Amino acid sequence: MQDAARPRTKIEVCNLTKRFGELLVLNDISFSVAEGEFVAIVGPTGCGKTTFLNALSCLLPASAGQILIDGTPADPKRHNISYVFQEPTCLPWRTVRENVAYGMEVKGRPQREIDERMDNILELVGLTQCANLYPNQISASMQQRIAVSRAFAVDPDLLLMDEPYGQLDVKLRFYLEDELVNLWRKLKSTVLFITHNIEEAVYVAERILVLSNKPTRIKAEVKVDLPRPRDFMDPEFVRIREHVTDLIRWW
Amino acid sequence: MTAYREVVVRTPLALKVLPVVSVATFFIAWEIIVRTGVVPDTMLAAPSTVTQLLFDKFTNVDPDGALLHQHAWISIQEAFGGYFLALAVGLPLGLAMGWFNVAEGLARPIFEIIRPIPPVAWIPLTIFWFGIGLPGKIFIIWLGGLVPCVINAYVGVKMTNPTLIQMARTYGASDWQIFRQLCIPSALPMVFGALQIALACCWTNLVAAELLAADAGLGFMITMGRRLAMPEMVVLGMFMVGLTGAFIGVIIDKVEKRLLAGIRR
Ligand SMILES: Nc1ncnc2c1ncn2[C@@H]1O[C@H](COP(=O)(O)OP(=O)(O)O)[C@@H](O)[C@H]1O
Ligand SMILES: [Mg+2]
Repeated sequence: MQDAARPRTKIEVCNLTKRFGELLVLNDISFSVAEGEFVAIVGPTGCGKTTFLNALSCLLPASAGQILIDGTPADPKRHNISYVFQEPTCLPWRTVRENVAYGMEVKGRPQREIDERMDNILELVGLTQCANLYPNQISASMQQRIAVSRAFAVDPDLLLMDEPYGQLDVKLRFYLEDELVNLWRKLKSTVLFITHNIEEAVYVAERILVLSNKPTRIKAEVKVDLPRPRDFMDPEFVRIREHVTDLIRWW
Repeated sequence: MTAYREVVVRTPLALKVLPVVSVATFFIAWEIIVRTGVVPDTMLAAPSTVTQLLFDKFTNVDPDGALLHQHAWISIQEAFGGYFLALAVGLPLGLAMGWFNVAEGLARPIFEIIRPIPPVAWIPLTIFWFGIGLPGKIFIIWLGGLVPCVINAYVGVKMTNPTLIQMARTYGASDWQIFRQLCIPSALPMVFGALQIALACCWTNLVAAELLAADAGLGFMITMGRRLAMPEMVVLGMFMVGLTGAFIGVIIDKVEKRLLAGIRR
């Protein structure tokens, strides 16, 4: 029934506006995301990227506008929303495995399902060896991988990521970006990925939304229709990167 | 292996010898001062006299009506009775106040009114209500121990990393789930701190309570020493209070280490 070339709309953001008192941060933003799509959002620091995700995840009430998931208003209790924060959010008193399982536990999934999925996910991200370690025994990048695994584990309707690899060094970043793309392709989640790194955005996303300065609007939309694994040296890759860079030269 | 050779820290000679010298000098000077009459023996007892009384009190109930270890045992019972009640009420209350607005709204004002009143000031009322026996003392000690329990548990919950709470919220966690899964584990180190602080508090209040209203216990023994003009009994009572308090502190310290190793942070 579904048209394969045009998957159905999963997320619909309608006229989203957010004010902090007098300060208008998000100015009437509308866009939609298709099921299973990987969208990157780039924008200058302080333009309201984090605010944007907080509104989408219902952590902050929007001043106006609506966020629809599968046609109904977004609600963390009803929909599976995952949010990978900028800083690590491991629970220090839980092992790696228990941390990855946390989201599923909150949602009251049966233990058998949790166990099965944990084995699967830990294997996918190569965390099986350290499944029983505690977060203070592993590195910062591993902690962020736990957060990403936990986010994928609940089979999210919408996966939000707020500069998850912003604080990591370049080499590790490439590795984790590959891992992320891998997870996304295997588990088919809908991902909104925020970054201020243009190269990262072009590397991971199918579509890039470029935000303006405050009051923030979507300034442009760039499709990235490149085969994977992508090559940073590919002329087409470089062209898109430079195109996006041009778009935001006015920051 | 050699790279991790243990670092040997030697205690300097001065820190080994001088403490012994200092303590010995202290007791000898004390003995001499009293013996030579520089301080009359109606005001202070010599260490030797106190030691004599110490051994005597293990077998002789006179003049205060009980043996030394009986006094100590009564004091310990009262202290621990009040202590465990304080933990049982104060910790859950403080934890709840830290997270649930209803609990904080209801309990905080009353707590803030009662908090600045020293537990000792409750003694006269307590005597009206319970007399001078065990229940009254447990009530006073309970009041004193309650305060650090509530404050530490409350602060511990308030210190929960807000990003963790946001993370749980995005997964759709309920208030109760967040309280149980995030706030309580986050507060545990502060709660363990409360175990120590509350016990010290309980012990101090116990002695104060016994000084003022009691018919047995170490504080009572000190009071009797004063009434009977027996400075050696006063000093012995003080000494026992210190010793028992230190002993309990060591035990709690051991228990706490065990528990902390158990939850592993
Ligand atoms: N709770 C808040 N109260 C008032 N102003 C806020 C609050 N949160 C964010 N802001 C403002 O909104 C703007 C966007 O912040 P943020 O979303 O963190 O930006 P970004 O993530 O893109 O760097 C900033 O100017 C910030 O000062
Ligand atoms: Mg941000």
